[in-house]
Order: sequence, then C-alpha cells, then structure tokens
Amino acid sequence: MPVEPGIVFDAVWKKFQRGERHDSLRDLIPAAVRRFTRSGPASDELGENDFWVVSDVSFAVRPGECLGIIGGNGAGKSTTLKLLTGILRPTRGDITVIGRVGSLIEVSAGFHPDLTGRENVFLQGAIMGMGAANIRKRFDEIVAFAGVEEFIDMAVKRYSSGMNARLGFAIAAHLDPDVLIIDEVLAVGDHTFQQRAFTRLQQLTRSGMPVVIVSHQLDRVLQMCTSALLLKRGQVMGVGHPRDVIAQYFTGNTAGNDGEALKADAPYEIMEASISAPTIGSGEFLDVTITCRRREEHPLQGNESVGVALVSLAGATTVAALGTGSIPLPLPTHGVFRLDLRLQANVAPGPYSLDTWVWSTHDPTFRGPRLSLEVMPTILFDGAVQLNPTMSLTPIAPESFGANVRPRSDLAQKAS
Amino acid sequence: MATIELPVRRTSVGHGGSALSRAVSDLSRMGHDMLRSRELLYQLTRRDVTIRYKQAVMGFGWALFMPLLIVFSGLMVQLALANFSGRALSPAGLGGMAIKAVPWSFFVGAIGFATSSLVANMNIVTKVSFPRAVLPLSAVGAQCFDSGIAFIALAILLPVIGAVEATWALLWVPLLLVLLLTFTTACALLLSCANLFFRDVKYIVQVLLTFGIFFTPVFFEPAMLGPRGATIAMLNPMSPLLEGLRLSVTLGHNLLEPLTTTMASGAVVTVWSPLYLLYAVVITVVGLPATVILFQRSQYAFAEYI
Repeated sequence: MPVEPGIVFDAVWKKFQRGERHDSLRDLIPAAVRRFTRSGPASDELGENDFWVVSDVSFAVRPGECLGIIGGNGAGKSTTLKLLTGILRPTRGDITVIGRVGSLIEVSAGFHPDLTGRENVFLQGAIMGMGAANIRKRFDEIVAFAGVEEFIDMAVKRYSSGMNARLGFAIAAHLDPDVLIIDEVLAVGDHTFQQRAFTRLQQLTRSGMPVVIVSHQLDRVLQMCTSALLLKRGQVMGVGHPRDVIAQYFTGNTAGNDGEALKADAPYEIMEASISAPTIGSGEFLDVTITCRRREEHPLQGNESVGVALVSLAGATTVAALGTGSIPLPLPTHGVFRLDLRLQANVAPGPYSLDTWVWSTHDPTFRGPRLSLEVMPTILFDGAVQLNPTMSLTPIAPESFGANVRPRSDLAQKAS
Repeated sequence: MATIELPVRRTSVGHGGSALSRAVSDLSRMGHDMLRSRELLYQLTRRDVTIRYKQAVMGFGWALFMPLLIVFSGLMVQLALANFSGRALSPAGLGGMAIKAVPWSFFVGAIGFATSSLVANMNIVTKVSFPRAVLPLSAVGAQCFDSGIAFIALAILLPVIGAVEATWALLWVPLLLVLLLTFTTACALLLSCANLFFRDVKYIVQVLLTFGIFFTPVFFEPAMLGPRGATIAMLNPMSPLLEGLRLSVTLGHNLLEPLTTTMASGAVVTVWSPLYLLYAVVITVVGLPATVILFQRSQYAFAEYI
C-alpha cells in the first residue's frame, strides 16, 4: 500500500530556557561534561529557569489539507514549524513527517551577498535540498518568476531588498516537495509580486499536498486553509474551521461561548444570546436576542449599556459596535430581562463574529457569548459598502440629441 | 501522484538499543546524510572558495602566498640553524621543511575556517534543516582547494631543486595525505561543534594555531630536541604525518623501518619508528568516528544553543 505524505504531531512539548545558561565557570564545566557524555535524552521536566514554548500540541495534516496556525507573537508558532522541519527536537512527544519537506521559511537565508544571483540560486537551492540538475532545469522559470532576469549576474548585495526576497521566494516555490510548510512569506515584494506569490501558493496547496501555514494575514488563512489551530503561550486554544478559530483568536474568548466577567463587580451579566439565522444575505435584517441579569450585589457605575460588536474576520476589524447606551435606553435596575435587537446587515459579504458585551462608562465589564455569522453576497450588495442606490430610466427622443452626439460606430465594432 | 517511496522522519525522544548499535546507526546516518548532501557540500565549498577571492586583486595568488610565507620564515629558521651549527644548507633540508610547511598551512587554514563555520552560518542553521556537518566539511574542502594549488607548486619545485629521492617510498605520500585529511576533518567537526556551544573555543584555537608551529616539527626536526624530546614531540598527532612526509620524500625512507641518527654528543636518537605510523593511524581511525558520533548526537541542539 503506498504511503501518503503527511504530518503527525503527537503530544509534542518543547522546553526553552530563560536567560543565560551559565553564569560562572563553576556551573559551566560540569554542564559541559554532562552535555558531552550524556547519551540519554535531556531531562523532560521543567527546571527553575525553563518554560514550555510548546506544550502538548497535537495535530495531523493529510493530503489535501491545509492547516493554518495562528496566534499572537511568542505563541509558539514558529517553534512548532521548526520542530516540524527537524531544526529543533521535541522535549516530549513524537513527530512523524512522511515525504520531503519544502519549507518557505526565511526564503533567502542562505544567500551570500558577494555571490551573484545565479550563484545564489544554486546555493540556496542546494541548501533547501534541490539537486543541481533540477535547479538547472527550472533555472529560467525561477528567474522569470522572480522577475530579475537582467540582474541575475549581479552580486546580490546590490539587489534591492524586494528583489532579494523575490528571488528567495521563487527558489522555494519551485522545490516540488511532498509536504509544504509556509511561515509568513506571503507579504514579500510589491503588490504585483504578492499576487503572483499567492497564486503560486494556492496552486501548490490545491495540488493536494499537505500544507502547514503560519500567518498573521488572517484573510489569507481564511482563503487558503481547510482548518486552523490557535496557539497561545504554546498551548492549543482552539482547532477547527478557520472561520471559528479566527473568531476565537479575535475575541480572545478562550472559554468557548460562556460569558465571563471582565471586572468582578460588573453590574450586569449576559446569560444567553442568540441570532435569528447564522447565515444571511448582505443588506438583510437580523434579529439578536440577549438575556441579561442585573447583579444586584454590585453597584451601578452609570452609563451601563448592553449591546453587540460586529467583527469582520477577514479584515480583522470591528466594523460596528452599538448598545442600549447609544439610544439611550435605560436598563432595568433589578431582575432578569431580555433585549431584542434588529440589525440591518449593511456590511460586505464575509465571515463575521457578533460579540455580545456589557459596557459601563464605555469600559467593557462583561463579555457575553460570541455568535458566528456568515454574510452572503446578494444582488443588491456585492462589494465593500452598501450605497443604497436609487435608479431610474427615462427614454430620450433622438431629435433632442445635439449635432455632436453620434452613435460611436467604431466602439460598437470593437465590442462585437 | 507516485508516492511509493517517501522518506519518513520520525522524531521521538526515547533511545533504544545498546551503545554499540546506536554508535553504528549514528555513523551510518552521517555517511548516508553526507552522501545525500554531496550537492550541498559542493555548492558550499564552491561558495567558500569563490568568496575568499572575490574583490581580492591578487585572486588565487593568495592560495600560494600563505604557504610561501611559512616556507620563507622556515628558510630564516633553517639559515639561523645552519649558521649556528656550521653545516651548510642542503636542498634536502630545505625541501623537507617546505614539504612540512604546506600540510601545516593546510591544517591551520582548515581548522581556522572550520571552527567558526557553524556560528558564521547561524542564519541557515537556525532556519533551514540540513545535515549540519556540511558546514565544517565545506570549510575543509575549500582549504583543500587552496592547498591543492600549493601542493602542485611544490610537486613541480621540489624535483627541480633536487630535494626528492625517487624511490618506492613516495607511495607513502598518498596514505599520509589521506591521514592528514581525516585528522583535519575530525578536528574540524569537533571544534566547530564545541565553538557553537562555547565561544571560548575560537580564541583557544586561534592561540594554539599561532603558536602550534613551535610545538610541531615544521621548521625543525624532532631529533634536534634530543632522545627524549624527539619522542615527546612525536606525540603531537601532526608530527608523525609531517615527519613521515619529509622522510619518505626527501630521504626515500620506507616508513615500516625504523631510522636512528647519532648526535654530535654521541647520543642515539630515534628519528622514525613504525610505531609512529601506527600511532597516527590509530588517532585518525578512532578520532574520526568518535567526532562523527559526537557531532551527530549534538547537532539537534545546534539551533537551540547557537
């Protein structure tokens, strides 16, 4: 049975050390002796200066799948990729990679500034595991992709930083691996090149090979990935459909859909929230129901408002925030009550997260459930803004044309 | 899509098997990796050679300049010794010094570049996955190219000045050069790896290479140190290789036979013993696998500790 290329991460942990390793020669010599004589694995327990940079991460990527790893800076994304490519070894756990790995990480790392573009293509190609015959065969293709034909025999130190990055990307993009790993290289070069690079990556991911992407460009993750993994401080916070995971990353709501008091003395609490439909057309109406409770043990701070924030996952921005305070609508001072909101989804098509909130004097004090909303394009609304058009047609008699207005026969011919 | 034979990489923490079987698997993996990475090794060697002479007016002339400088300083030392002892400079004496100076400059150059090779390529070590041993090996390879030019020059010059004994003993030269290359490679692997963990190594190596010429019989012959001094000087692993080259080329001496000389004081000094050859062989045959295993086991920590 033929084996399929793929990646399996099985309960992987990786330990890093904070600060300097050896403060004095007295520590260093025994440590050095231990390091050179020890044959077994290093201790897999945390020392006093250690921390887990990746803890208990598991995932599997099979052919046809594209996993996007997202998270803030220092979440452990790049370390995960380094474990995956074999640059780092896990402290605990097993990693299995079947197939040749092509990694688009720091694509021009191996360039030497004194060598020409041509020499660097062969050098970088070899560093990435490409044979000379293969590089020679695809050389013209690589150079054309990078768009540096006229400068290929010039030393790379005289290249602009964009040319440098483009050439690096072009080499990596022609590797023909079985498994592809991409780390934040989607923002290389100018706009035209970014489009070309993105198209190439889509080609590669759609060819059916397993792909892992790390990116902060959430809209790209949304477009390219079949699933996503959210990391925070080395731990898996969420895994699933990119839309849901990005929503989770975005709202920072790690406790799932349960409400959470941001301030202990939040005077109101959201108990439940729901929307009329998870998918609606752009420009259509949407009903939101929020059930609230007054937490009478906590004093009112004034200007309390219950409402929603609509977050665009593709653009990674809050497109609207509104609540009872914007009307203003005074809230009941005791008991449980229901708020009904009717919103017109005058927003661009795409995935959204509708987050429910309680604000007190404009500070968020309680975070309610997060609702997922998909806005579909409609005939009326396809684009970025709803212009609320009014249109009319009026017939005009031909004799009212001026002498200089003639049918443009030349254009008509071109069009046909 | 043909996916019949895909490379599988499993990274687990546990170690299995006996110490011997692990050592054998480390060695075979290194051999396999190097064979697979010969293209990379070639490209890196080429890079090291190319950048050494780019923007240098003298170009490849530098490859001759370094050994030439050592030969000239050797000439000064020989001249001083000849003056002092009242014996004339012989072509064999000069040739014997030159034939030791070139391998020595090879060793110094290779170790100098190799020691910092891993740290100097930090950007690729931390970003790209490839067998790390190609870096010190390519530093040695680039020096082979350099010294190769000097060796060719030597092969032309020595017969001209009449310093070569054309005997069967010349057949020892290839073996000695292989031993030199093996020993240098082992040192390169060990020192590049040690320098990655402890940057002190670079400074220690610099000092040792600078003053090493006084502890290694390049300008002088061990016999000049007296009976006990000669034996101690031969403990330097480079000494049997250099002396072997000198004796087989300039004296046509068969290295399987001992050679003694009588000093002016009447003391008998061992110039050569087959044991020296054995010593050199044992050092390299044990040294290379040992450093390969060490390198193989520590290379997974490189990206983390660099």
